[in-house]
Amino acid sequence: MRKMVHDYRVFLWRCLRLAFAGDWRYYAWMGFLTVFCLLGLNAYAKQFVQGLVVTGMCDQVSWGVYIANFTFLVGVAAAAVMLVIPVYIYDNEELHDLVIFGELLAVAAILMCLAFVTVDLGRPDRFWHLIPGLGQFNFPASMLSWDVIVLNGYLLLNIHICGYLLYSRYQNRRPARWFYIPFVFIAIGWAVSIHTVTAFLYVGLGGRPFWNSSIVGPRFLASAFTAGPALIILALQIIRRVTDYRITDRALLTLRSIVQVSMLINVFLLLNEVFKEFYSGNLHVASSRYLYVGLEGHHALVPWIWTAITFNIVAMFLLVLPVSRSLRWLNLTCVLAFVGIWIEKGMGLVIPGFIPTPLGEMVEYSPTLNETLVCFGIWAFGLLAYTIFLRMAVPILQGRVCKANESGPVLPPRVRQPNAAAATP
Amino acid sequence: MAYPPQSPAGAPTPGGEGQSRRSFLRTSAVFASGLAALAASLAPLRHLEDYTSLELFMQKYYKELTPEEMAKVLQRIEREVERQYGVRPHVRDLKPMNGVEFAYAHNLTRCIGCRKCVHACVAENNQSRTPEIQYIRVLRMPHGTLDVDKSEHHYDPKLVPEKGYFYMPVQCQQCKNPPCVKVCPVHATWQETDGITVIDYDWCIGCRYCEAACPYWARRFNWTKPSIPKDRLNPDMAYLGNRPRRQGVMEKCHFCIQRTRAGRYPACLEVCPTGARKFGNVLDPNSEVAYILRTKRVFIQLKEDLGTSPRFFYYFDV
Amino acid sequence: MTRNGNTNRVLAVLTLLFSGLAVAFALRLWGRPVVLPPIPLVDPIFTNTATARVSLGLLLQTHGDTSDYDCYTCHDKKEPVKLKLDDQGNVVLPKEHSDLVMGHGSHNRNNNCYNCHDESNLEALQTRDGRHPKLAESSPLCGSCHGPTYDDWEAGAHGRISGYWDRKLGPFVRQNCVACHDPHKPAFPPRAPAPGPHLLHPIAQAAPPQERNP
Repeated sequence: MRKMVHDYRVFLWRCLRLAFAGDWRYYAWMGFLTVFCLLGLNAYAKQFVQGLVVTGMCDQVSWGVYIANFTFLVGVAAAAVMLVIPVYIYDNEELHDLVIFGELLAVAAILMCLAFVTVDLGRPDRFWHLIPGLGQFNFPASMLSWDVIVLNGYLLLNIHICGYLLYSRYQNRRPARWFYIPFVFIAIGWAVSIHTVTAFLYVGLGGRPFWNSSIVGPRFLASAFTAGPALIILALQIIRRVTDYRITDRALLTLRSIVQVSMLINVFLLLNEVFKEFYSGNLHVASSRYLYVGLEGHHALVPWIWTAITFNIVAMFLLVLPVSRSLRWLNLTCVLAFVGIWIEKGMGLVIPGFIPTPLGEMVEYSPTLNETLVCFGIWAFGLLAYTIFLRMAVPILQGRVCKANESGPVLPPRVRQPNAAAATP
Repeated sequence: MAYPPQSPAGAPTPGGEGQSRRSFLRTSAVFASGLAALAASLAPLRHLEDYTSLELFMQKYYKELTPEEMAKVLQRIEREVERQYGVRPHVRDLKPMNGVEFAYAHNLTRCIGCRKCVHACVAENNQSRTPEIQYIRVLRMPHGTLDVDKSEHHYDPKLVPEKGYFYMPVQCQQCKNPPCVKVCPVHATWQETDGITVIDYDWCIGCRYCEAACPYWARRFNWTKPSIPKDRLNPDMAYLGNRPRRQGVMEKCHFCIQRTRAGRYPACLEVCPTGARKFGNVLDPNSEVAYILRTKRVFIQLKEDLGTSPRFFYYFDV
Repeated sequence: MTRNGNTNRVLAVLTLLFSGLAVAFALRLWGRPVVLPPIPLVDPIFTNTATARVSLGLLLQTHGDTSDYDCYTCHDKKEPVKLKLDDQGNVVLPKEHSDLVMGHGSHNRNNNCYNCHDESNLEALQTRDGRHPKLAESSPLCGSCHGPTYDDWEAGAHGRISGYWDRKLGPFVRQNCVACHDPHKPAFPPRAPAPGPHLLHPIAQAAPPQERNP
């Protein structure tokens, strides 16, 4: 038992040291992210002191980019499961190790989600009121209490699965199936649940017709399963470039077909929503009108949503055409899809729900500098976390860092892999 | 410092001792400047005054406070208010009365849109003046519609009422089925037996989910520290009512708990020059509200289709 | 060596960047505290609970000047006042009563002073069914024509009430008709509205209002 604890501590210590070892590009990247983290932290300190008045929010538009980013990132986290399903349900071997990269992305995304929710709180010092047992947890009535459970649960599940698989690889042992396969299957269901619950946060509000629509849930999932795998494709391309980790083209193309189908469904659902809102033309169309064409001289979101729609539709055509089988075009497509969905689901979903207010007042919202810096800070923090996770995971998966070479340097020199060249076409 | 004094590329450092010492110095410089930046980034926190206190931080949930603990809490609040405003208030924890369920009735025929209720409410309930927090919003509605999207909030004519419009003040509707209570993740807002939905300002975490959930836009958030001129403070206070709030919590109309649970009429009602506002115990058949609901042919629960079942009714004479 | 050189360069740049940030944070180069423009305090006339007009009842209660209601300082008790009418049958008011506006009801159906005032005792009123209420207790007289409104008033559903809704805990005050309505011109007079709401971020208020006054 003591030995197990000791071994695990050595493993953690080595991982931590790995996080600080890298070449100049690694330092430049990490330094760059740290600068933004610090900017964000400073901006948050100001907000903490003065209150949320430093943001662009007000009583009329009481949620802004914080909750928008939160919503989007829950989707990114949920999408990790789209790598898990092919591997564990369809036994797709190409993606096997990549699952870990996807799940690490989920961990980083959930960390960002938690950060975005925290910065949105008016009284972060009362966070403990949310802890079941310690505070007062309004479960199951409040969808937010569901969200607290599913997000933290998903975080723990993914930390467990990745951590266990990596540690097994480190020890050069076969992972015990009973110790992770059940969790993998729980995580698949759970991933769908985190995004469904987050959709229900909005859907459950009868007083906001823009959100109170049953299509929001499915649209959330479809857009998440587009944006998430798109981000994973981009991440894998980068991993392929900056490390010598072997990722096959076929793996990327498998992900492409996931993005392809999800994007088609996403655009289809969007079409459904737009039709329902505008064709019937009842009084509840005000928010949609504001979003798509502007209302009573207010149209701050119109350029954003049409950018998003253009990006999504271009991405959809690119995905359907064979051209996106070329990886360069695939990168472009993924960027378009990712940005398009970020706008559509962030600004395009959260903000118009508040405009006009339930009493018909028109007050527009735009984020302030301070608010934007906080957002950049959290994104930088998430990327920092993901980079560190990859920094640890890649050499372990490659077998360069393992129990056998514990006494050696932090990052042993590369072992030339005979098929490393095959990774880059 | 967890930083390994070794070449980042992983290869053994060429050049021996001197090189590795220089490299150590360089990394130390990065870390030192990084820590300095970290410390400086938190510098704004120096201005954090009166944000919370240990007593407030550790305070239990309203419904779990024993009478002795509540007495201490009330003393704490009195102390804090006196320190901040130089006025010793009288803070009470008023409980709902037995056999009482409050209802409000508003006469759309009589209301002239003068907004006196708005400001009487602000004065009575110690709402922040800058930034401005108001519980009542008066909507100017064109004749012939109840569609709030057609309303104007910022009307400013010389005289009211204006021809062709009627006026509809909206405040917390004290719903029987309140969406705000349902969504609060920490039970910081709940409905009491007399029908008033209250907020424990010392328990609210400021997530603003209730504000998004309210179909009547009745909830207000303290976006920054509220400010009330000392000479305008109302010292007759209640824990769940009009005691001054802190930055980062929600508030809303509570039917003037500090008055109504002591048997008095709410402030908005007493100030109304036309007597358009009616309030009372709907369980008492002799009350004004019971009479109105019994005899008026048309009365309206705003956004009835949402199933919130407000205790605030709009009615017409005739 | 170039790799090492690159690393060193990166580290040097980062050191500079972090130091620069530290200085910038300390000097608070951006993001100074938001200063909200002070919103003027509302005039206390908008928060007082005074009735729309000063009635005789109120003057008696507050021991105010009731000399306007001493009819017989001018009129002669023994000589009933004859009404002067013009061609259309409207009452022609003497200049002593020029402050009155005869505006009770439409179609000139209610322009006879003695519909309400008692011609044999100007300090009293009279109803159609022969009651003679005092000037300060006019509400039953109003009720003699405005039946449904009077019912509402009696039940507390019309007019102003203040004090205690819970009659066991304290008194309540019900205002008489004339506290709000001028009996000679009963329509409730228009008044200036109190200031409207202010937005949290005033720049947004520069946006055009959604609807203009016609």
